[in-house]
Parts: sequence; C-alpha cells; structure tokens
Amino acid sequence: MSSDAPSVTSAGDLGYLRDDAALKVRNLTVSFRRGQKIFNAVSDVSFDLARGETLGLVGESGSGKTTIGRAILQLVPAHGADLGGAITYEDDDLATLSRAQMRLMRRRMQMIFQDPVSSFNPRRKVVDIVGEGLEIQGMPRDERRRRVDQALADVGLSRAMVEGRRPYQFSGGQCQRLAIARALALGPDMIVCDEPVASLDVSVQAHVINLLQDIRAARNLALIFISHDLAVVRNVSDRVAVLYMGRMVEIGRADDIYRAPAHPYTRRLLDAIPVPDPARRIPAGEGGAEPHSQLAPPSGCRFRLRCPRADALCAEVEPQLRPMAQGQYAACHHPLPELGQGNSSRPAALSTPA
Amino acid sequence: MSTLEAHPVSAGEKPLAAPRRLRWPRLTLAEAFSFLFLLLLIAGAIFADRIPGLVRPNFPYGDFSRPPEWSINGLFGTDGLGRSIFSRILHGARATLTIVGIATLISLGFGLLLGMLAGYYRGIIERFVDLFANTVAALPPILVILALLTATGPSVTTMTLALGFLEIGTYARIAKGGVISQYDRDYILAARALGASDARILLREILPNLMPTLAALVPPLMAGLIITEGSLSFLGYGIAPPAPSWGGMIADSTDLLSRFPLLIFGPILTIVCTVFALNTVGDYLSRRIDRREKQL
Repeated sequence: MSSDAPSVTSAGDLGYLRDDAALKVRNLTVSFRRGQKIFNAVSDVSFDLARGETLGLVGESGSGKTTIGRAILQLVPAHGADLGGAITYEDDDLATLSRAQMRLMRRRMQMIFQDPVSSFNPRRKVVDIVGEGLEIQGMPRDERRRRVDQALADVGLSRAMVEGRRPYQFSGGQCQRLAIARALALGPDMIVCDEPVASLDVSVQAHVINLLQDIRAARNLALIFISHDLAVVRNVSDRVAVLYMGRMVEIGRADDIYRAPAHPYTRRLLDAIPVPDPARRIPAGEGGAEPHSQLAPPSGCRFRLRCPRADALCAEVEPQLRPMAQGQYAACHHPLPELGQGNSSRPAALSTPA
Repeated sequence: MSTLEAHPVSAGEKPLAAPRRLRWPRLTLAEAFSFLFLLLLIAGAIFADRIPGLVRPNFPYGDFSRPPEWSINGLFGTDGLGRSIFSRILHGARATLTIVGIATLISLGFGLLLGMLAGYYRGIIERFVDLFANTVAALPPILVILALLTATGPSVTTMTLALGFLEIGTYARIAKGGVISQYDRDYILAARALGASDARILLREILPNLMPTLAALVPPLMAGLIITEGSLSFLGYGIAPPAPSWGGMIADSTDLLSRFPLLIFGPILTIVCTVFALNTVGDYLSRRIDRREKQL
C-alpha cells in the first residue's frame, strides 16, 4: 500500500521467501481501530505460496490467521481497518487492481469459510449459490450450468441432489462440500481454507479433508490451510507457518517443524495435540494458558511471558525470523533444541543473509 | 417430527432425505378472522362501486339517523343526511387504504434505501440517517401535518406525502439494524470473495433477509397510519367532505351523538377492527420469524 513497500525481489533478507512463488505476501500488517484503541491483528508477516503448494497457517484464536486469509482475498472491511505491506498474485499487486481487475482475479483465488452453514445465505437456493460466482463473473448460462455440474460432481454431489433446496436442508458436512463446490466453480488456482473442518464432526472432518486433498491433486490447486488443529494441518500441508499474536514465529517444511520445532510456542502447540495415551500428561506451561492482551503487547518477544526459556534479552529485543539448524525459520532468541548451531548467533548477526 | 432427523453424510452417496419445508405457523382463530376481515375490507374497498344494491355514498337514500337494520344499505343505519353508513364506510376504506398504502410505500422505499446504505457504509451516511430518524421521531405527526395542511391548504396528496415522509426514519432504523446484524456473516464475505458488487450484496444477499422482519412490522405501522389519517379527517384536515372518510363520519355524527349514539357505531367498529386485525397479522408474521430461526 505505502510507497516504500518493499519490492518483491528484495526479499533476499528473508531466506524462506522465493521469487518464483505465485502468491507473495510481504510485510503484511493489519490493524483495527476501535475508537482510540488500535488492535494489531497482523504485524509484519511475510510468506509466499508456490503453485500447487499447501501452506498451513496455525495458531490459537486471535493469532491473526483468519485476518491474513481475508487480507489475501481483499476481504478486510474498509472502515476501521488499516492495511500495510503488499500482496501480489502472479506479479499483480492486489491493492492496485481496479474493481473490474479484482473481480477477474477472484476467479483465480477463492475462499472456504469455517462455518459452512453461515457462509450460505439462508434465503437462497443452493444451486444458485454454487453458480453465483459464475453469474457475477458474467459466464453464459450453458457454460455456467456445465461448470456447476462439474463442481458438484467434484465434491460428490449432483444437481439432482441439490436442485430446489435451501442451505438449511443440508448437514454441516454437505454444506462444506457445497462451499467447496462454490469455490471450485470459478476454476481457481488458489483457495484459502479458513478452518474448513473446525465446525464439523470428526468423522466428517476426515471425509472433507480427503476430498480437499483429492481436488487439490486433481486440479493442482495451491491451498492456504488455516487451522488451530496441528494434527489436521500436518496431514495436508507441505509447509507450515506458526503465528502468535499477529506475528509469524516459525515457518518451514511441515516435516521439519513437526519433527523438531524450534520455537517454544510451536513446541507447546505440538504438546497440546491429543494423543490416545491415558498415562501421558500434557506439560503445563508457565505463564498461564492465556495470551497476553493484544491491545498492549509485551515488549520484545510477544511470547516471553508464557515462555519457559525467556530471559532479559527477550524483554528487550523482538526476535526476527532466522534460519534454524533443522531447516526451518523461527523468531526466537533461544530456540529449541539447545544443542543446535543456529542458536549461538546473536540478534545483531541476523542482518547477514543466510 | 421425523423430518428433522440429521442427514447422514457418507463417502458413498446415499440419496438425501426429503426436503424439510419451513412450515407456516398454524393460524389462531383471531388471526384467521383478522386475515379474513382484511381481505373482505380490501375487496369491499376495491369493488365498492359494483356491489349490487349498494347505493352511492352521497345518495340520501332513506330517513336520516336510522338505526341498523338487516339490509345491505342499512347494515349500519343511515347518517344525519340519510346516507347509507355502510356504503360510506366502504368508500371511506378505499380512500383510507389508498392513502395509507401509498404513504407506506413511500416510507418503506426511502427508509429501506437510507437504512441499507447507512448500515452498509456506516460513517457519515449513518450519522446523517440517525440524525434524520431521531429528529423526525421526535415530531408529533398529527401536529406537524396539521401545521403543514394549515399552511398549504387541505390536500389529500400533501397529507399522504407527509404521512409517508414521517415514517421514513422508522423503516430506515429497522433496515439499518438488519444490515448491521448481517454485515459480518460469512455469506456476505463469501459473496464478496466471488466478486459481488456492493449493490448486488445489498439487493441479493441482505435485502431478502430483511423481508421477514419488515413483513412483520409493516402491518402495525400501517395501523398507526390509519389512526393518524382518521384523526386528521376527524379534524377536517384530511379527506374533505362530502367525500366519505372514517374520521369524517365520526366528526359528522358528534352533533347528533346524544340523540343517536348508534351513528358512530359503524365507523368506530371499522377502525377498531382494522387496527386490531393489522396488529394481529403483524404478530402472526413475527411469530413466523421466531419459528424460522428455531428451525434453521
């Protein structure tokens, strides 16, 4: 947005960013104004997404993951919100696109919402909802019909099953499949999935996840998979980004992060994954389970008040993302494990590229 | 309620359960009579000229101030000039319902427009609409219209426009609240993600969801307008005699009231029944909203 927005090619100082990615999010900052108070939902987050790649965004409530998803699709409400940074898709800066250009762009990037029931207008027919994007995009009627049929078939439904029905006549899982069909009908190459299974029964979750995976493979879709459920994210993601209070604290290949998390917060999230073993106790974290107030974040590292490894340095200097020995990037002065080579470097040395 | 069973979701496709319809709530006796009364009133108003045997409203067809009798013209008796009160009520209904209907269309149209824009764009538009609605709500409608009609001369058109204008704020507030309550719903975001314009979102996504609320609120507000219009006609500022009007008929009979109290029976009964029926229908429609919300 601002004139001094970093050009995408200058991303060399953050080694995990790639110049050939389809979606590039650079220094994204989103803050909401409520009267005098300013709430920083997202602070200086950068990442990218290659074609056909799946990136998991994880973090607890209020970590900014949903806001990032909405910001990518330019869905953050205009009043009461400030956006900073740049989002480019296939070298188009989304903020500079005209309305008509953005409407065309929406064919390529779509979204699936958390609550499938509330993401459908209760007073409209399901068939119309699935075809709505095509109608908005001015697709001719026969082409629209063909595409809707194809999208419904992709999610295991058919026109005969949904014709004439309204959203409340479907279960949560069916609604989520219809929501996927609505996104697919436009033929996107990227979909932001905002907690797509969080409101579904566990048995239905697996079905919807598998469906998403199949469609992703068949259509070579890039996905941003937002979830607080690390077990689900691990199954679907190539790479994972961990967010805490609007900041990205760790990003890397899913395998690396799940095998050896570098950030204490990631460790804590992983420890919280339920394991069917009654003898296992979840280690109680220090500093309480609740995040600090986001209206007045703590100085330095935002996680330090809950972090067992925090010291004076963490209170003074906000850690920046830097490469870890395991392969991922983490923003921590005292990353795990203790015996890595990466953790001896001082924050002052961070400016040198990896 | 076997139709309320959860639909099974499985990878292998079973046929979906039969569609579950949103049923309309059962009518109580009072509601059934209210609907019937309103239908008859509207039909009577439209076809008042063509009802066989019914005399013209200004035709002095019999003795003056006769009590009700069992004939079409004498159903409510005759007034001080010997005219059929029943005929005058039906012709008065035509005038009243036209005025109230047009006034409601005016306030509904402008109120929806202003309220939806205020709720959707907030900011300066919302402040302007709030200020307008609150200011107009503070004005006593009868006094304002009296003052206006005194200044410009009695006119049905002026009265209709003024009645409509004074209710714009009421509808604007209802519409604004409805838009704000929907603004953060995911289906609005979804529509925007599909590329829908603001106009499309307002008309296709938000407006249909405002309709049940409006349907429940319009009848009682119309009942209020009927009372206001009746009062103005009673005071001689509305429909000018000798044209028949409900309020005017009550005013005409006040002189003779001590000797012929039955003169005001017809118009009073009609006004009371119409207002009662409209409010009852409003209650029924809001009951339908509650029921829908429970079913959804």
